[in-house]
Amino acid sequence: MKNKQPVADDAAEMIPSESHEEQEKEAPSKAKRSKPEDAGGEESVYHPVKLSRSDLYKPPSAEELNQLKEAESLFHCSLLKMQMEELLKEVALSERKKQQIDSFIQTVTKLIQTVPESPEVEVSDLSWLSSEVKVPFLLVPKATKGKFHMVPPASVDLIGSYPLGTCTKPRIRVDLAVTIPADVLHPKDVVNQRYPRKRALYLAGLAQYLASSSEIGTMRYSCLHGNRLRPVLLLTPPGKDSSSFTVNVHACPPPGFFKPSRFHPQKNNIRTEWYTGLQNSQSEGTEPPTPHYNSSVLGDLLPRPHLQFLSAVGSQCFAFADGVALLKVWLRQRELDQGTGCFNGFLASMLLAYLLNSRRISNSMTAYQLLRNSLNFLASTDLTVNGISLAKDPDSSAPSMEEFHNVFQVVFVDPSGHLNMCADMTACTYKQLQHEASVSMQFWDNPTVDGFHSLLMTPKPMIRTSDHVFQLCDLVKLQSSCKKLDLLSELMDHSGNYVHATLPFILSLLQQGLGQRISLLTHSLSPDPEWSVESEAPKHKAQPPLCFGLLLKPELAASVLERGPPADSPKSAEFRQLWGSRSELRRFQDGAITEAVLWDGKSMCQKRLVPRQIITHLLQLHADIPESAIRYVGALLDDVIKTGSEVPSTGEEESLLVVQSYDDLSRKLWRLEGLPLSITAVQGAHPALRYTQVFPPVPLKMDYSFFDKEKTSRSLVPKEGKPCPAYITPITVICHMEGSGKWPHDRLAIRHIRTAFHIRMGELLKKHHNYTCKPCPTHLDVWKDGLVFRIQVAYHREPQVLRESVNAVGLLVVRDNEKAQALEMATNHKPILTSTLHGLQQEHPCFGAVCRLAKRWLGAQLFSEDITEDTADLLVASLFLQPAPFTPPGSPQVGFLRFLNLLASFDWRNNPLIVNLNNQLAVSDYTEIKNDFMASRESLPVMFIATPKETKQSMWTKKGPTVQMLQRVVMVAAESLKLLEHQLMDSNQTQDVRVVMRPPLDAYDVLIQLNPKQVPLLVQAVDPPTVTFSRGAIAGSAGQTGGALPVVDYNPVTLYLAELREAFGDLALFFCDPHGGTVIAVLWKPKAFMPTPFKTSQLSARSVEVTGDEAKTIPNVEAILEDFCVMGKGLIKSVEARTEKWSF
Amino acid sequence: MAPSEKKHASNQACVIPGGFTVLPVQFNSDSVAQHKLYVKEHKVRSDRSSHRPMDRTLFVLNIPPYCSEDVAKQMFSQFGSVQSVELMDNPGPLAQDSGPKISKFFRPAAKQGFKVGYVVFENSSSIAAAKSHPHNVPLVVCTEKCRVKTGTQKWIQQYTESFIRTDNLQKIVDSFMEGYDKRKKEEEEKQKEEAKQQQEDEEGWVKVTRGTKARPHSEAANKKTLQTVIRKNKRKELMNFYTWQHRNTQKEHIAELRKKFEEDKQKIALLRVQRKFKPY
Repeated sequence: MKNKQPVADDAAEMIPSESHEEQEKEAPSKAKRSKPEDAGGEESVYHPVKLSRSDLYKPPSAEELNQLKEAESLFHCSLLKMQMEELLKEVALSERKKQQIDSFIQTVTKLIQTVPESPEVEVSDLSWLSSEVKVPFLLVPKATKGKFHMVPPASVDLIGSYPLGTCTKPRIRVDLAVTIPADVLHPKDVVNQRYPRKRALYLAGLAQYLASSSEIGTMRYSCLHGNRLRPVLLLTPPGKDSSSFTVNVHACPPPGFFKPSRFHPQKNNIRTEWYTGLQNSQSEGTEPPTPHYNSSVLGDLLPRPHLQFLSAVGSQCFAFADGVALLKVWLRQRELDQGTGCFNGFLASMLLAYLLNSRRISNSMTAYQLLRNSLNFLASTDLTVNGISLAKDPDSSAPSMEEFHNVFQVVFVDPSGHLNMCADMTACTYKQLQHEASVSMQFWDNPTVDGFHSLLMTPKPMIRTSDHVFQLCDLVKLQSSCKKLDLLSELMDHSGNYVHATLPFILSLLQQGLGQRISLLTHSLSPDPEWSVESEAPKHKAQPPLCFGLLLKPELAASVLERGPPADSPKSAEFRQLWGSRSELRRFQDGAITEAVLWDGKSMCQKRLVPRQIITHLLQLHADIPESAIRYVGALLDDVIKTGSEVPSTGEEESLLVVQSYDDLSRKLWRLEGLPLSITAVQGAHPALRYTQVFPPVPLKMDYSFFDKEKTSRSLVPKEGKPCPAYITPITVICHMEGSGKWPHDRLAIRHIRTAFHIRMGELLKKHHNYTCKPCPTHLDVWKDGLVFRIQVAYHREPQVLRESVNAVGLLVVRDNEKAQALEMATNHKPILTSTLHGLQQEHPCFGAVCRLAKRWLGAQLFSEDITEDTADLLVASLFLQPAPFTPPGSPQVGFLRFLNLLASFDWRNNPLIVNLNNQLAVSDYTEIKNDFMASRESLPVMFIATPKETKQSMWTKKGPTVQMLQRVVMVAAESLKLLEHQLMDSNQTQDVRVVMRPPLDAYDVLIQLNPKQVPLLVQAVDPPTVTFSRGAIAGSAGQTGGALPVVDYNPVTLYLAELREAFGDLALFFCDPHGGTVIAVLWKPKAFMPTPFKTSQLSARSVEVTGDEAKTIPNVEAILEDFCVMGKGLIKSVEARTEKWSF
Repeated sequence: MAPSEKKHASNQACVIPGGFTVLPVQFNSDSVAQHKLYVKEHKVRSDRSSHRPMDRTLFVLNIPPYCSEDVAKQMFSQFGSVQSVELMDNPGPLAQDSGPKISKFFRPAAKQGFKVGYVVFENSSSIAAAKSHPHNVPLVVCTEKCRVKTGTQKWIQQYTESFIRTDNLQKIVDSFMEGYDKRKKEEEEKQKEEAKQQQEDEEGWVKVTRGTKARPHSEAANKKTLQTVIRKNKRKELMNFYTWQHRNTQKEHIAELRKKFEEDKQKIALLRVQRKFKPY
């Protein structure tokens, strides 16, 4: 106690409010200890941790010290480690579940062992089966030799992940191997599918027997990894647990029944004569090898040795099961773990075993390290070229690595040395796996990314991963491609599965054709079919359409020219062969004459679809797949932002025009002579100048007869009674003037001086360039090239002047205020954002289009008031700057889907969104931002976006959205994403992607319908309007310079909305689509409708109700509704009050 | 505060607790719904300004947005001739802007919401007339005589009125700047005068007056001096010199680590509660 005393005293010096430290000495120490437990109670809201002082400063134990030191040195990954441990708890099977499984397995085993015998029949004779149970096999060709009878199995064993302890939730599959007794089989059964058929018959026999039992829930057939030669019987327990797990019953031959050497990949086990039914003179020597068939039969022989091997390896490494589980989660999020040719959990375990055996990982590593090392291995090793083998010393009959590589695309040989475990995997799938692994490694090392979340928690469905996706819908058509590509032996090898036989050829064809345009070609793995035991096995064409995903290289993908070899080079024949009639000789500017293919495409949105032209052309030419069978999903969403000129365009060309015109103006401004102060900067501050305006302004020519004229300046003004004139967006340009002692130090005087600059600048522009100008106190409008630029002169010290004031004592105080912030926003932050995002557009050509789609959606869903243009652009920018776990979007469509996903899934409550523009933030900044954010979460905006320029306040989202609005945005985004992905991926759906752009209006209290005549942006509406109005402007052709100033920035809808919000902003929210919306949706604020006591300051639009002595006020709804009509006279068509849903 | 409770069957004034009389108002004669104005004579203790004489000023609440000052003047003139009308966003004294008069083009746009008004009549009898106005006879904003433009008409008018001749604008700017320069000069001279007074005369005397201080201090400057003092003091301090100091730093470090660890643990616990670890 005595030693401790000085310590306590010192502590008291440092931190005030230390009165009870003295008491502690007397008080029993026990009471003190119980305190921290109360503090750390389970609460669902994050509070900054408050440990009691005694807890923080108690002397540490050696163990605790070690632990803390370790966490300090590995801070970045210690959180990740903890998170992974939590994740493992989520996917691990509970003890209760294990008991359930064990008991069910016992009953099933018992049942199966008592299956009755049946008399011996011919294999082709199916009469012994009742009509309720069908054989899970496509019996093509029909004829088979051999005899079959049902007998109880030789043994029933658990195999696969469950006994190994690597089985994970969800989709729990327990594998049960049922050994067919040797007397049912014949060693020659390997040939001509006799064994697989007997295996199927045996399963059917089991199914027939089990059908009568009440202890089995449902029974279905499936096949192992989509391989029709290896059907399995799926059993589920009865009752309410039926969906919680499934038992897969496999039938296997007795161990060692077939000689492994029979399944050498060069050997033939299916005779052409039998398969085609034609008499052939071919001798056995020339029969084509059937490697896939061989390996699928061989695979049945080996599950038990594999299990033994894995459990031997796994028992040495304590984190083996956890490592496999993590790998499985990783694979599952990337859709690589299921279907034909997948990299399933079994392969994951085998991979870990390989790494352990080859000493790349050690037995003492944690699950975290296992995952990291295996991803590293996958990323750096190409199994399509250098296969790996688990066989330590294969016997002499085992095939060599080279022989494997000759017939299989991906090689990973099992411990026996005979089986290639990746036989069905295509090279593309492996490349995808490699790509995913290397992307994962990249962001794992990046401390600014939430590694855990991107690595293991984010699903990567193909539609959200690939830039373009296309589907082969009519799979029957692949039969003719088989013929065209002359694939009889492959077809035989795949036992008639023409989809899998042709797939590798189609993939290599596409890879060749797309060449440099893509960085990755992926394809969906056909899912394992499942069907009930009462129905026939489904045909090959019954599987869902094959999907292919393209990851584009943005700089090359949209090129319209495919330049081939010179005309005289030997390679030109090859080129001509590939492209067929599309290839032609062309002479280029450098004088070379080469073979070349020129694709169609004028505007950017057409050029983006060049890959589609290539794919349809190649598939038609080489594989006989008609265009109608290809469903290309790459630009279906572009429609909503297409502008109606003769060449369809999604705004890239128009934006470029605006930017060019702006550059010209900026140059002219710089050169102006005769201004009292010189210009220091000309900056654009408008979305159109960073390619993100939803509908970029187009040059217009005015029809003068449509307008009235203003008397003095001869400018055009809208005419009463005519439709509202075309809306002309003023494009904001900020013009900073040089600082000088002559600038006054007074806010009003500065404003007047700025006006003087506007006037002078206007005069000079008129004099030198004959531009029509309209100077105002706040800005100068310049009519140039059919566009209007709004120049605002800015003085860099003005915000500072606005902040300064002299208080009553004569003290000069600097106080931040809204006016200064708004000015700073307009003259500093917006121009900087505009130029930064302009740079981003140069780097990623589809950035602008993604912004346009995103903002079109926000507008259509009536959210554009809450999530402003700048906020939306920043959100989209974050997708490009920090794409993990994806790669930066390469097409507008995928970018838009990820934007919706970001809105729907980002945890705004607990995380700041950090948009690292220009890569200016360092790692330490990230932690600082996060700490600041956590410390003052409650006072910060609900949607917190930090940028390098501003990390504390989230100025872009300060004004909104509110909690309620953000909630709604999240909800609608999730719903839209679901719907849209479904629409894009499901070929049966009608193609109406506009569904996600139509807002649900039933949530609103009042709808104000507008008169389309007075809505100037009507043509931009989601659903094109049926009637159009002449609006006094001719698009696409800029008039001469000079002429009368057109009507600028006159939009009755925004004026009306502003009036409504000013008058009734306390009572209701107003929503409207800024792009041609013809309805204003009104939502009453429930709080405003509670009766409140009479107060002179809160009486707007309220009426008083007197009860006794008390006067309460409520909104005067009838009068308000009439005000809606009065204030919008001429603009509104009707006001629909949905009184039935009002609750007051 | 008991208004004469004359019991007429229908056309009596409606007075609510608080002393306000309810005046219904509607946009035009066809309107179905009415807003309610709440009026009372202007009565405050502090405000003694001349432009709101207490006996002749009517305090009006809840004036709809389409009622401009002119319209309100027209509307209230049925109770007697109106001298002036002031519309404001919130009740209270007029913001005292001592500054120079500025043109309407330089004034910030007024909010178009519901207003409170101070109607100054020429005769004090008008107040009583207004207060006894029957509650079932509404005032009308837009009449044959005085049309009120709303909607597209109003916006087109606004747009047209936003034009100003360049030379006029230049004139406004010039006259303002002239005034500004003059004021500036005056101020400078005054300061010079004061500075002169502060200086010593030949005999070394300084005249101390009660007048304003020579220069206003700036808050930023104050802070700066304070910080320099703190910094200076800090430099003098010895860190990690005594054993107890050293021990303290170590202790602080461990406490920091502990805190971080607890924070992480809590973060995880929180995420677990939110089921953030369910991968699919």
